Amino acid sequence: MTEEKINALRQADANLRDALKMDEAERPQMPADLNERLMQRMATQEEKKPRHAIIWPWIAAACVAGVMIIWLTPPKDAPTDVVAENKPKVEQPKDNNKVEEPQVAKVETEMTHTDPTPLKVKKAKVRTTVVKRDAALLAQETKAEEPAAKPVVDEVHKDLAVAETAKPQEKTVILTERDIPITRPENYKYTPEEIALMKKQANEAYLKWAQLELEIAKHNLEQTAQK
Amino acid sequence: MAEIDIDLIRGLREQSPKAQRKALERYGNEVFAQVARMLPATEDAEEVYQDVFVKVFRNIGTYDEEKSALRTWISRIAYNEAVTWLRHKRQAVIYFEDREGRAEQLSDAEVEETLGHPNSETVQLIRAALKHLPPEERAIVTMFYYEEMSLKEIAYVTESIPTTVASKLSRTRKKICKIIKMLQS
Repeated sequence: MTEEKINALRQADANLRDALKMDEAERPQMPADLNERLMQRMATQEEKKPRHAIIWPWIAAACVAGVMIIWLTPPKDAPTDVVAENKPKVEQPKDNNKVEEPQVAKVETEMTHTDPTPLKVKKAKVRTTVVKRDAALLAQETKAEEPAAKPVVDEVHKDLAVAETAKPQEKTVILTERDIPITRPENYKYTPEEIALMKKQANEAYLKWAQLELEIAKHNLEQTAQK
Repeated sequence: MAEIDIDLIRGLREQSPKAQRKALERYGNEVFAQVARMLPATEDAEEVYQDVFVKVFRNIGTYDEEKSALRTWISRIAYNEAVTWLRHKRQAVIYFEDREGRAEQLSDAEVEETLGHPNSETVQLIRAALKHLPPEERAIVTMFYYEEMSLKEIAYVTESIPTTVASKLSRTRKKICKIIKMLQS
């Protein structure tokens, strides 16, 4: 059917037009507040828009932070390698003492007899302090019991110097929880010296606490007396 | 295009609330009527009406004044929104489907007599028959006879071509006659 014919039908189909007109007239009218509701909806949707704009930078920043944390966290194998590398350095003074054995056998035997356990503990703790304490102990003992063992003292001083030079190198070492001696199963037990020291410190702390309590009580009494 | 329309389009493109209110005042009733005649309930029509204008205000940037008038463009959005709503909801509404092509067998003279000669009884029968038409066909008939849109405009709204609209109109006329005959018998 051509367009002209169809357009002619518009005028011809009077019944159909009338029916449609009547239908449309009976159709429910648009609610009066519908446009207002629509405008409110538009306003709320526009308010929501900036929220998205604010959230995205935060998400991006969090992602960057996450990547940086992953990138900066050292691999689990790295610290153990470092410790392994440092081992010979730290044990150097001990080896030196052993080399000196034939020269000052007496001093060496005394060392092993008097304090075998602290050596173990010191070995497990941070190496620098181990060396220091060994040296100090040696120096004290040699001074008190063997004044003739001066070469040994010199050696100890040398070791101290070596230990001090080794100190800055170890500062760069990154330790993980696994490397802390207290977490190692072999170091779970305290040595008698450590236990004694802890008891002493506990007693001191208790005494201080009692003194403080007394002072507080006194102060309170004074205040109540003043009132 | 009238200067008022140019100002309105400019305002809508600038997302001016004043222009949006103006557009609602001018085209709101027409759009609501168009949507309401396609959907089963007024509540549904209100929902779709809002969706239509939200789409209009958001996508005004894509409107091409050389292709169609603003009214036709809005009408197209409304038609598509209503059709999409009907497809998604799939409500159980029964329409007359002429699968056997019996309506096509009716002669032009028969159809003209039913639809053309003024008769109040036939008007009521046509009104009853219109209720049995699928929403898309009913929309096309209304656009042509009631809103007096050209075939080109209807084709733009329904996203088809004028010849298709013409053949659909012709088929729908015959279908109405068929329904009337069924109602009379």
